[in-house]
Amino acid sequence: MSAYRTGDPLGRRRFLTAAALRGATVIGTGALSTGALSTGALGTGVIGATALGAVDADAAFAAPIRPLDPAVAESAFAEGRITAINHDVLEVAGSYGDHSRVRVTNATSVWKARATTAADIETGDGLYARGLPLPDGTLAADAVWVNIVNLHATIRGIEKTRLHLAHGQHEIVGNLMARTTSAAYGDASPTADLSRLTIGQSAQVLGAWRPSDGSVDLVRVAVAPGAGRRR
Amino acid sequence: MSALVCALAPLVLAGVLGPAGAGKLFGRGTARQAPRTALARLLRDGGRAALVLRALGAVELLLAAALLAPPATPLPGAAAALLGAGFLGYLGYAHAAAPGSSCGCTARQDAPLTWRAFVRAAAVLAGGVAAALAQQPWWTAAARRPAAALCLVLAAAAALTALSADPDRRWRMPLRRLRLRIAGHPLAATGHPLAATGHPLAAAGAPAAVPVAATVELLERSRAWQSASRVVRSALLDHWDDGGWRILQFAGVHGGGTAARPVLVLFAVDAAASLDTVREPAVRVSVIDADSGAPVMATA
Repeated sequence: MSAYRTGDPLGRRRFLTAAALRGATVIGTGALSTGALSTGALGTGVIGATALGAVDADAAFAAPIRPLDPAVAESAFAEGRITAINHDVLEVAGSYGDHSRVRVTNATSVWKARATTAADIETGDGLYARGLPLPDGTLAADAVWVNIVNLHATIRGIEKTRLHLAHGQHEIVGNLMARTTSAAYGDASPTADLSRLTIGQSAQVLGAWRPSDGSVDLVRVAVAPGAGRRR
Repeated sequence: MSALVCALAPLVLAGVLGPAGAGKLFGRGTARQAPRTALARLLRDGGRAALVLRALGAVELLLAAALLAPPATPLPGAAAALLGAGFLGYLGYAHAAAPGSSCGCTARQDAPLTWRAFVRAAAVLAGGVAAALAQQPWWTAAARRPAAALCLVLAAAAALTALSADPDRRWRMPLRRLRLRIAGHPLAATGHPLAATGHPLAAAGAPAAVPVAATVELLERSRAWQSASRVVRSALLDHWDDGGWRILQFAGVHGGGTAARPVLVLFAVDAAASLDTVREPAVRVSVIDADSGAPVMATA
């Protein structure tokens, strides 16, 4: 257990890798997905969900799922700008004048363009959090999405390290991140191949907003199927 | 200097009014655009608005021609100033009556009314006044001080281009498209992620890297996820690749009531697999106690 408890991240990962590979092997896709997925009927509507609701980055924008298990308390959402950070409690000023306090624990997943830790959260960041309301008025967060943005945009320029996007009247710079930014062409799986993006395409952009310069770190750029074929 | 500005004003003004007039008079888009302009609201009829727009185009073309001719009278300049004043009034009305509509100023695009349109109209007004005050033909003035004249005309052209309704669509996007066509797609290297980076694995013919998003998508549609999702409470906490496997770590709660204890849920997925390549993914699932690291029976 020593490798697991030590702070050494490599030793910890080695321990967890060994634990993961010792686990039971389950083969197959979900019962409802095999047929429906191949026809694209479910499209991007399917998002990972647990007893407490959806978990992946798209989930920040999905309506909370009512838990089927009565033993599980209903999850709560909080959103807004982080005004202060006191140890593990984030003070959040909501968009509608409300105020909430979000408690981050070791088990809280933090998303800031990638899976990361609470150390990456800064004052001034925007936040979506999902978790359980505690008696002391704080929200014990299961998942926190920091600065997440999800918008329809038009690709207006392509450079080696960034995309120029137009969202309504706004011009947005999207930073490409090596090994993180992926593209989804239609219903196909996200791929690291960005070479089929073209100027003028409409795209659904998922990313993390950078408060310092207003640009967006791109996580996924989804465009229509086949759109990339014409050059 | 001001004499030079006045003398060159007809030339610049003709450069503005000529293309705009030709676009309105001969442009195929005029009839299509007219109903969406504020003029249609003013005239209460899209067809009439198109006619008026075409007539306006003809007037602008005539004015442009008159401005380029030797300045016998200050009339063309005065007429252009009048036109600019008329534009300003019309824009003011349109801004008040139909703020969302297109101004129809260049009859080419559905650009909504912005401050640019007002500045453009004011520029036409000022140019008309300057042209009316011109003492000598523009070519005489330009021949006398060619360098200054060239600078002035270029500056005016740059300012007017910046003021045009949508600089992006008209010249920035076509320029970028052209650059992509000539220089190649800047992201073409991502098609073979390791190829262009000089990565040592590129030579070994490593397969294209699968982004984590694709692995997560595969996992979330797998039977393994369905069986473990009751335990999982967090989104992805951490992930790393090890020996061809991609390990995905989640936090969870095992058991209920007083027996509930925090656990780590670990999934091991083939790092090169995605929904496009694998129909029946094999996923290893393991649940370990978050405090001790001891395995927990997965039968919740």
